[in-house]
Amino acid sequence: MSKKLFPFAVFIAVFLGAAFAPGQSEDPKVRELARKIDDLYRSDSSYARIEMEIVTPDWRRTLALKGWTQGQSKTLIRILEPKKEAGIGTLRLGNEMWNYLPKTDKVIKIPPSMMMSSWMGSDFTNDDLVKEFTFVDDFTFRMVTPPEAEKGILYLECRPKPGVAVVWDKIVIAVAEADTLPVWQKFYDEKGQVARIMSYSEVRTFGRRTVPAVMEMVPRTKTGCKTVLRYREIQFDLSLKDDLFSLRALQSGK
Amino acid sequence: MIKMAFRNIFRQKRRSLLTTLTMFGGFVLASLALGVIDGTYNRIVDEFTRSRMGHIQIHARGYLERPTLQKVIRNGREIGVEIDRSRDAEAWAPRIIAAALASVGERTDTARILGIDPVRENAATRFERKITRGRSFSPDPSKEIILGPGLAQALKAAIGDEVVLVSQAADGSLANDVYRLIGLADTGDMATDRTSAYLHLEDARSLFVLEEAVHEIVVVSRSLKKATNLNASLRESLAAFPVDVQPWQEFAKSFYNAMQADSRGHEMMLLILFIVVSFGVLNTTLMSVLERRREYGVLKALGTRPRQVFRLILCEVLLLAAASVVLGAGAGFLINSAVAQHEIVIFSKGVTFGGMEMRSFTTEVNARTLAIPALTVLFSALFVSLWPAVRAARTEPARSIRIF
Amino acid sequence: MSLYSRLAWRNIFRNKRRTYITGIAVAVGLAALMFLDALYIGMADNMIAAATASFTGEAQIHGRDFLLARDANLTVAGSERLLADLRNDTLVKAFTPRTLSQGMVTSAANVNPVLLVGVRPDTERALSQMDDVIEAGDYFGGNDPQNIVIGRKLADLLEVGVGDRVVVTVSRAGSGELSQDLFRVSGIYRFNTDDLDDGLAFVRIEKAQDMLGLAGRVNEIALSFKDPRVSQDETHPFWTDYSTGGNEALGWPRLFPALKSVYQMTTAASLILGLLLFTVVALGIVNTMFMSIYERMFEFGVLRAVGTRPGGIRRLVILEAGSLALLSIALGVGLGFLVTLIVSLTGVNYQNIEFAGVTIKELIYPVFHLKQYVIFPAGVLLFTLLVGLYPAGFAARMSVTRAMKRTM
Repeated sequence: MSKKLFPFAVFIAVFLGAAFAPGQSEDPKVRELARKIDDLYRSDSSYARIEMEIVTPDWRRTLALKGWTQGQSKTLIRILEPKKEAGIGTLRLGNEMWNYLPKTDKVIKIPPSMMMSSWMGSDFTNDDLVKEFTFVDDFTFRMVTPPEAEKGILYLECRPKPGVAVVWDKIVIAVAEADTLPVWQKFYDEKGQVARIMSYSEVRTFGRRTVPAVMEMVPRTKTGCKTVLRYREIQFDLSLKDDLFSLRALQSGK
Repeated sequence: MIKMAFRNIFRQKRRSLLTTLTMFGGFVLASLALGVIDGTYNRIVDEFTRSRMGHIQIHARGYLERPTLQKVIRNGREIGVEIDRSRDAEAWAPRIIAAALASVGERTDTARILGIDPVRENAATRFERKITRGRSFSPDPSKEIILGPGLAQALKAAIGDEVVLVSQAADGSLANDVYRLIGLADTGDMATDRTSAYLHLEDARSLFVLEEAVHEIVVVSRSLKKATNLNASLRESLAAFPVDVQPWQEFAKSFYNAMQADSRGHEMMLLILFIVVSFGVLNTTLMSVLERRREYGVLKALGTRPRQVFRLILCEVLLLAAASVVLGAGAGFLINSAVAQHEIVIFSKGVTFGGMEMRSFTTEVNARTLAIPALTVLFSALFVSLWPAVRAARTEPARSIRIF
Repeated sequence: MSLYSRLAWRNIFRNKRRTYITGIAVAVGLAALMFLDALYIGMADNMIAAATASFTGEAQIHGRDFLLARDANLTVAGSERLLADLRNDTLVKAFTPRTLSQGMVTSAANVNPVLLVGVRPDTERALSQMDDVIEAGDYFGGNDPQNIVIGRKLADLLEVGVGDRVVVTVSRAGSGELSQDLFRVSGIYRFNTDDLDDGLAFVRIEKAQDMLGLAGRVNEIALSFKDPRVSQDETHPFWTDYSTGGNEALGWPRLFPALKSVYQMTTAASLILGLLLFTVVALGIVNTMFMSIYERMFEFGVLRAVGTRPGGIRRLVILEAGSLALLSIALGVGLGFLVTLIVSLTGVNYQNIEFAGVTIKELIYPVFHLKQYVIFPAGVLLFTLLVGLYPAGFAARMSVTRAMKRTM
């Protein structure tokens, strides 16, 4: 009998402002580039409306979400659509996480071991979403020229420092030279194979920032799977009430 | 010749009786031993498979290698009809297998969800016997949940509590609902009970949006012996469906291996038993022939030909052996069936774990329990009498008629 | 030596063939009993080993309630002192401390839930067999704290090989905080049993304690005994001795109650089979004794005719039976020893070819035990003497004329 757990629909802090702390790197120019990419979506606080499309061999669905973040560790997300799941909320405070289920009017706490599971059945894992990822600190960077290099694109190779809890052997980020915005990101396993690709597109300006509004994640190990995130609206550095990130607010369903 | 052999047998009543008794006793005991071995083996396997996983399991193709919520059997109903059509199948039960977060009050833990049809599951794997506290499901789905004792302890859940389940449904949506804890089910395996939660099949289907689908169908055969046949016939009749049909020897491989070890040991035991029985027969036959050399000497002196003496001895021995076999077969059959019917209670208290009940053991009445001892007795009697028969046939009258 | 004993001794050698036949029959019976007993002990040991040797150990010590709740925060109380006690305990063959916690292993390709086991590699070797079935890499060679040893099926699910990175996530005991660390696969084992091959991951205990925040505490001490039968004796003082201070020491029958009931069934069946065999042997003895005495009625008649008293004849017959029994026993013990010895060297193979995978215990070895050499021979001797009584009485009561007449 198998004890296997199927991919869990665990709500995890969304992609909003996954905060990266700036750090040191060998070449100041390279470090500057890494920091720039790192800071792309980062802010003290944010509000966003996102559409998430998940495609698997068995099903395909689109979720509409809204969410708020404050600092590195506070997140509140609410599902708007589909109707059946509207009102479901997730609150994250540091390492702790709760789900609010309107159908049963219950708040349940997510055990930490479950945080490693797939997020909403999407191709994003906790690694991408919840960890306070100190990208610049934990990786070493260098510029590379892959065989398939295109003109006007810079290639930044990021390797995790020894002992850092990251499954990738390296990550290569393609950056457009003109606006220094990412084009794609490839995650390599130790055999030198691409395990997944994240592509960025539809550069849009939200307030004072210009960022790609669409991200598409395609895992190479699972055929027929992909996840697309579309930012409908982002506001950066707004003032949020502290009690927004509380169990009471979570349960209020707003 | 046969008449003479008969006369000889009846002339020496005590000696014949002793010889017969040895062979008869050997036969009955060997037959009983075979019955006990087969009976125990079948009982253990039957209890073990029946209480847990059934004799045969049906899954969607490839499910067991890598189980997922989506690998479902969609033709559960048609497959059920096929199973019911087989005379060897006693019961079958459909199951939903999934994983979820289970939450009671402040506590949350991962759970392995088993959606079961209470009536069918009880007929197939005696689910109600596993309930150690509370009760089993109502026949109709009514949002009830049963937990393994370990999981209940980890969640600090008591009968009557509300249990929230959260998971991902087959359509990708967030599955969540609240259920009332009505009982605890103990399978006897602590690791399993630490993660197990049971729902009514229909409740599980609506939670995971699985409509008519099931992940597993367990089939119980009318007897363990018929399981192999049933498996073969189901493989054939279900060939049109995209399913894997597996007998217990395959899906419970380590258990099967352990039982193989056990039956191998018992085979050794049987071998030894038969050696001892043959030696008993040899001893008796040899003795009765050798001690009567004078008699054969007299026969030879009266002009009987060596071949006739040889035949006479074989005839005598075989008559006795045949009589023992007939008597022994009757007695062996009677004792075996009596034990099979009434069973011998060995544990007065009863050893019951997770629906397995092993308080008594039984014997088995099958062709093997009679055929093997019969062959042993006949062959060893025949074999061992050859040499003394030859010796007797060659006896010189002058030497053997001497008194000492 | 009295006249009768000398006479009895001479008698059994006078008719050598009869003595051989009887002696061999009884000896084979005795040898069979002895060998079978040895085989059954071997089978029981094998069964215990099959259930306990791969990972669980014959017995385990936990903090109370750990087995039910499996909470990494429930640790063994005073584990330092306990480990020292176990080291000095003459019953104990080997022991090893472990941490046990639910966790997730993530690779570039996949994520899978596991039972993360923190082990002390040197002592763990004696308790579990992962080190014997390493298929790739090695079992905690060197002392890299980032080593992780996993099963073949888990490696396939995660699509990793030796040297590849995996991230392990667990909750810290007590606080429940997320704790993650990087490991590199250093060994892959294969048992061909799904539960063991995809559900476990082994790391060094210091590392696990560090991740779990256990600071030297352990969840389990697994141990084995010098005499494996201690583990199935539920009334042995060992259990109460180590079940103190909030701890619970349990042998495999209580760890696996289902296995225990299977075990009891087979033991009961073996006992019944043993009894059946003994009955067959006994029947052989009865038969031989009766036969050899009835066939010699003429002889006893002559003895009576020359003035031997009935008591004398009775003594003679009994003494003959006794001497014969002694000879047979000597032969039987020798034969039994020889067969047991040979088979204990070769073993009895029970592995089916169709399942010829890497399974460690595939041979049953018979085990010598004192009772085979004391109780069984004594039983055969007593029984023979007892059986001899009836024909001895018969021979003694025989009238001279009838005895002489009966022989023809």
